[in-house]
Amino acid sequence: MRVVIADDETLARERLKRFLNDISGSEVVGEAAEGGRAVELCQQQRPDVVLLDIRMPGVDGLEAARHIITLAEPPAIIFTTAYGDYALQAFETQAIDYLLKPIRKERLEQALGRAERLSVTRLEALREEGGKRARTHLSVTSHGTLRLVPLNEVLYFQADMKYVTARTRGESLLLDESLKSLEDEFAERLLRIHRNALVMKEALVGLERDNDGGGVALIRDVSDKLEISRRHLPEVRRWIKGRE
Amino acid sequence: MNSDKASDFFLPNFCERRMVFAVVVLAELFAFILTLAQASYASEPWLDLALISLFMQWTSLSGAAVLCLLRKWLERLEPVWAIVATYLLLLLVIVAMTEAAFVVLGGTMFIPRAGNHLDFLLRNIAIGGIVSALALRYFYMQQQMRKRLQAEASARLDALHARIRPHFLFNSMNTIASLIGSHPEQAEEAVEDLSDLFRASLGKENHFLPLAEELYLTHRYLHIEGLRLGERLQVEWQIAYGVDTLLLPLLILQPLVENAVYHGIEPRPDGGTVIIGAAKSGDELQLWVSNPVVEAETITPRSGNRVALNNIRERLAAHYGEQATLTMSSGEERVVVRITLPLQQGRETK
Repeated sequence: MRVVIADDETLARERLKRFLNDISGSEVVGEAAEGGRAVELCQQQRPDVVLLDIRMPGVDGLEAARHIITLAEPPAIIFTTAYGDYALQAFETQAIDYLLKPIRKERLEQALGRAERLSVTRLEALREEGGKRARTHLSVTSHGTLRLVPLNEVLYFQADMKYVTARTRGESLLLDESLKSLEDEFAERLLRIHRNALVMKEALVGLERDNDGGGVALIRDVSDKLEISRRHLPEVRRWIKGRE
Repeated sequence: MNSDKASDFFLPNFCERRMVFAVVVLAELFAFILTLAQASYASEPWLDLALISLFMQWTSLSGAAVLCLLRKWLERLEPVWAIVATYLLLLLVIVAMTEAAFVVLGGTMFIPRAGNHLDFLLRNIAIGGIVSALALRYFYMQQQMRKRLQAEASARLDALHARIRPHFLFNSMNTIASLIGSHPEQAEEAVEDLSDLFRASLGKENHFLPLAEELYLTHRYLHIEGLRLGERLQVEWQIAYGVDTLLLPLLILQPLVENAVYHGIEPRPDGGTVIIGAAKSGDELQLWVSNPVVEAETITPRSGNRVALNNIRERLAAHYGEQATLTMSSGEERVVVRITLPLQQGRETK
């Protein structure tokens, strides 16, 4: 059984490694001190199981899990935590396995034995119960590899036919999500300007009139001009006014 | 939410079998009292008891049934209106049962005992009104007491939590468990540090100690966290000369540092530096603790910051009144928490 360990504390990782070396048939194929790295390792190493600490700096365990399950062949996920986080109750109700630190070897062995893949619906349900926290990164698949893009780099989202793209300063990224779900998750940071476009509030720098008397949104760092639909114009204007 | 509210409701649940039984027994006892009260001039006390019991049982059980059926509706009302509505409902039941008794038993031996219709009705309303009021008062008081007990219990639990700090405790335990195999001496030290810290936090609350001792505890704390966080945790001390013997309440500085590590270092992949300072300024002692700002957008915000600070603020207020202040200011790069205390020299009080 190939295992990836993700925990920000070196000592915690070492202890797990020691146990896994003792457990026959298991092998540590990667260690991550941060959630983003864990996602990367899961993709490169294709482990059978990933041990994910819930509290990690950067991308935390819960968010890493959400990205990991979008991989083509996701590993089974076992969460670890030192203390009853808010999430634990949700874990109980969703019957998702987790290990409390300091972890016992037998418990680890047991958990490895019955580790199974997390379904998207269960993880979603977990998020609902865990206070519905928005992700800090988006997962983007390009050329078959998954990559995490910080939400902070995104300027706007646009839907075109059936694809949704996220525009950053340097590129357009194809997403596997709907505008609606993005709008729901990041409601506080996004502004709907058109049926097919959501703009990050901090990237919206101004408003211009186009020749037909409609509105156009100006976006920071890029020369793109986005059409604002008549329906959303008053709200966009109100928001820009409110900021000044 | 709903079940919480239900248990908060001042009326006991009359739909429960236990409650119905209690109602029957109480009604019967009350029937005894009424019978005894008039026994001196009653010629047939047992017949009186039977009739009064019958009436009492019917009235009280109907009352219970009505409260059981309308419970959902009553729960939704404002507490005051729920009480008023309950009271009126009970009076209504009494009137209805009195009238029913007249209809059913009209012309039998019951009526002569009851006296005339209006007199009987008024007497029943008066007795029922007083008893219902007493009962409601009793239920209300009982609920208030239950509430107070719950509040006290949860406050005590919160205080215990603040002292034990489960997050820190279990993380330290994990660190020690990891060290025992590889670095037994360090594990030993960590256990000693942990003992020092818990001896302090589980000790007497109103204890004053010299700053040097508080700094020692803070060192012990940082030593444990250093094992866990490694290079990520850097500490800079800015302790002025001559502050060692100044007195301050136990565990004022260390929790501030813990707060800084928890909110300012742990969430940062690369960690950062905690600055801890102390200096005399005029007739005041100044303490400050700062940590790097964590950008809320890139990192999952952690709750509980206010709780720790408020706890320290409350303790300062308890010791010094308005003479001590705790302020938190957030700049571009660092968050600084500053405490100002009146100077208090060690030797004078010890």
